[in-house]
Amino acid sequence: MEQHDELPEGHLFLSDSEYAHSRTEVLKTIIILSIVTVVEVSVAIGYDHFNPTGGNFKWLINLFMAVMSVVKVIYIMGTFMHLKNETRGFFLTVLLPFMFLIWAIIAFSYEGGSWNHMRDIINAYNPLNLF
Amino acid sequence: MASATLEHDSHHVVTEKELWKGGKSPFRISYGKVMMWYFLISDTFTFASFLITYSSLRFTQSANWPNPAEVFSSIPLHIFEGVKAPLVFVSFMTFLLIVSSYTMVRAVQEGYRKNKMGVVYFLLPTILCGIMFLGCQYLEWTHLISEGMTPTTAAPVTKLVNFGQLFFVITGFHGLHVFFGVILNIWLAVNAWNGTFDKRGHYEMVEKIGLYWHFVDLVWVYVFLSFYLL
Repeated sequence: MEQHDELPEGHLFLSDSEYAHSRTEVLKTIIILSIVTVVEVSVAIGYDHFNPTGGNFKWLINLFMAVMSVVKVIYIMGTFMHLKNETRGFFLTVLLPFMFLIWAIIAFSYEGGSWNHMRDIINAYNPLNLF
Repeated sequence: MASATLEHDSHHVVTEKELWKGGKSPFRISYGKVMMWYFLISDTFTFASFLITYSSLRFTQSANWPNPAEVFSSIPLHIFEGVKAPLVFVSFMTFLLIVSSYTMVRAVQEGYRKNKMGVVYFLLPTILCGIMFLGCQYLEWTHLISEGMTPTTAAPVTKLVNFGQLFFVITGFHGLHVFFGVILNIWLAVNAWNGTFDKRGHYEMVEKIGLYWHFVDLVWVYVFLSFYLL
């Protein structure tokens, strides 16, 4: 018993029913993850097959892929990494820092687009063609 | 010391005020697991800065950016030479990581049950999938380099040097994480086999390394998204 002092409080030993339940839950999760991946890859290959030059709905496909990836991450972090069973305080401690990334993605993508539009101006002042 | 006061009332519901007085973790998880999560958060920011760089550089050259279905159009094995199968090989690599995540979480569950052989039994396929993933990455890199795509040159199909630079740096950094994950898992399996965790009284190390391994899978979701799907 004295060695259990360092053990975290909560769910470190599973009863028979908990064990059976978590086994099915994990099996369900891996099946969902596999299906999502197969769907993503089929959509990517299918879209490329019918629109080899890009097409008009590429943005819609990209949005779909981004949403599907978020679904996968929710399942991996929630079930596999047990985040949904942690306390609310810890859940937020892990999740809130990622809010910074949302802004970083928007800001740096926007900046990249801006460089793209300024390419002609930059090239005019850039005789070595470095950019 | 503190354990004497804690043990007698393990079913007693602790109030918020009591939690922050010390002795009990307010997050109700151990120090080691919290620190593993904090490490993973910081690692997320490293990967995020790489992937955001990718996004930024891609937007600067959006019109010329190579089509992933063309770049990754073949399976880098001799028996499949000449076969056009876009994204099939990398989907197989993704599948390997998903399967290894499943076997890892099963090992963690067996650890909760203190089932020593169960832990070892599920760690072995995890290690195997990790090694296979690295082997696939070796084949893919060799194939791409032979086509002319290196960190400093562009293949005819990729046109831009940036694509190769980003590809090798980001998948390389991810591969390094898989490599360390495999080493940690081998260490874990050997120690579980030797009974180190039985002596310690708990299998929390399986959980901590499991968190790391799932993180590697999680990062791959975004590497896969950026390079192969968008």
